[in-house]
Amino acid sequence: MASASGNNDDDLTIPRAAINKIIKQILPNVRVANDAREMVVNCCTEFIHLISSEANEICNKSDKKTISPEHIMQALESLGFGSYITEVKEVLRECKTVALERRKASSRLENLGIPEEELLRQQQELFAKARQQQAELAQQEWLQMQQAAQQAQLAASTANKAGSSQDEEEEEET
Amino acid sequence: MEELESGVAVAEPGQSLQLEAEAEAERPGSAPLPGLHHKLLRLPLSRIKGLMKADPDVSLASQEAVFAIGKATELFVEVIAKDAYTFALQGKRKTIQRKDVDNAVDATDEFAFLEGTLD
Repeated sequence: MASASGNNDDDLTIPRAAINKIIKQILPNVRVANDAREMVVNCCTEFIHLISSEANEICNKSDKKTISPEHIMQALESLGFGSYITEVKEVLRECKTVALERRKASSRLENLGIPEEELLRQQQELFAKARQQQAELAQQEWLQMQQAAQQAQLAASTANKAGSSQDEEEEEET
Repeated sequence: MEELESGVAVAEPGQSLQLEAEAEAERPGSAPLPGLHHKLLRLPLSRIKGLMKADPDVSLASQEAVFAIGKATELFVEVIAKDAYTFALQGKRKTIQRKDVDNAVDATDEFAFLEGTLD
């Protein structure tokens, strides 16, 4: 959801639904009061600020300008969350794998691409076919119209003949 | 899965499960690439990045750093939820209440930074 409505950065929190999902996965069938959930959401905000701040200091002391995952892990360690490091490392490994797969997948897609001249040729072919079909259709319709017109004429002249002979009879009688 | 005395199963952290591909950090809604079936994080990266940037002193963070904090935050939620649940059980309740989370905060040294949150 874009926060274009002028939200302060300070009002940011992790979305409640995401927190709910995590809690549900780890404590299935356990009820959690709303104000308890609210508290956890806010604790997350504090946690992120805490780790970022510490990592930032570690980064400043190093010769790097950008906070790296290593800085994050050092921050976790120094703040007493060293037990999280193993799983953080695992996610980073998966990260790299996904990035690698994406690059492979997109280069495969590029190789499948049809060159432009071939595309143009196919387009011309399709247009020619379409024109031909249109012409045939138009001709058929014209023929049908002609036939219909002829039949109409035939019917009309028959009706006329029948009508006029009747008139003659009537005239002779009176 | 460990089972508590009440018979409710509790998942170990990191036992979390497959889901679908989240190809790019900044576009959580993007369609997964065919063949990839792992969602790396349950928290939205863009929001985590926003929270980091809310501190004016914090310099640029790499995308991997955002992932790292994201994963750490997920683990944090799991830990505090489990701790709070323990307190609920002690109080013979099946619903985790605000005071259980407060107790969890008080009981752990590393959570000292949370004193006074939401007061």
